[in-house]
Amino acid sequence: MTTADAKHIDLESAPPRAWLMGVVAWLVPGLGHLLQRRWWRALLLGGAVWICFIAGFQMGGHLFKYSGTEPGFSALLQIPPMIGDLGSGLLYIACWLWDYGFAHGEQQAALPTFEYGWTFLLVAGLINYLAMLDAFDIAAGRKS
Amino acid sequence: MRHFLIMTAFAALASIVFGTVAKDSNRDRLMYGLKVFAEFMVIGLVLAWILYFIPF
Repeated sequence: MTTADAKHIDLESAPPRAWLMGVVAWLVPGLGHLLQRRWWRALLLGGAVWICFIAGFQMGGHLFKYSGTEPGFSALLQIPPMIGDLGSGLLYIACWLWDYGFAHGEQQAALPTFEYGWTFLLVAGLINYLAMLDAFDIAAGRKS
Repeated sequence: MRHFLIMTAFAALASIVFGTVAKDSNRDRLMYGLKVFAEFMVIGLVLAWILYFIPF
């Protein structure tokens, strides 16, 4: 059996609960670990994501989304950071539904912390992807 | 000063996450988190000084 075959079987053997925990962990940062009674991990991972997300907005940051209105390839450039932001789960989806946090006017862009802001928002999503994978691995029994 | 504090906050948050999801024992996690934090800070300061001397 090759390593690829072994990985394929291992992936298929993950219980449905693991997939559920992964989705929950993505939707609400920290909840995937909370439901598995991993209190410290929930506090550290969920706390880091929430702090990063809130701090990003406090610093004047903005979220990215694909609107398709920009000319040429500029529209496509919005997709990678949008995927990063989407890692925040419901936080991003709620902002998208209420159209909050996507616009950035001249006054906001002039803030000295503007660049830090959207970076923090982006990183909040990226570290939540890590937390999601961690919750999945714990539920699948691959991690203690 | 504000930039340094933001960089420190970023390094702390990122290293907490990296330290938590990596390694197997609590001691290893703590040591790895501290190592990642130190790397973020040192590399950030070195890059800042390099960029400071670049005139464009």
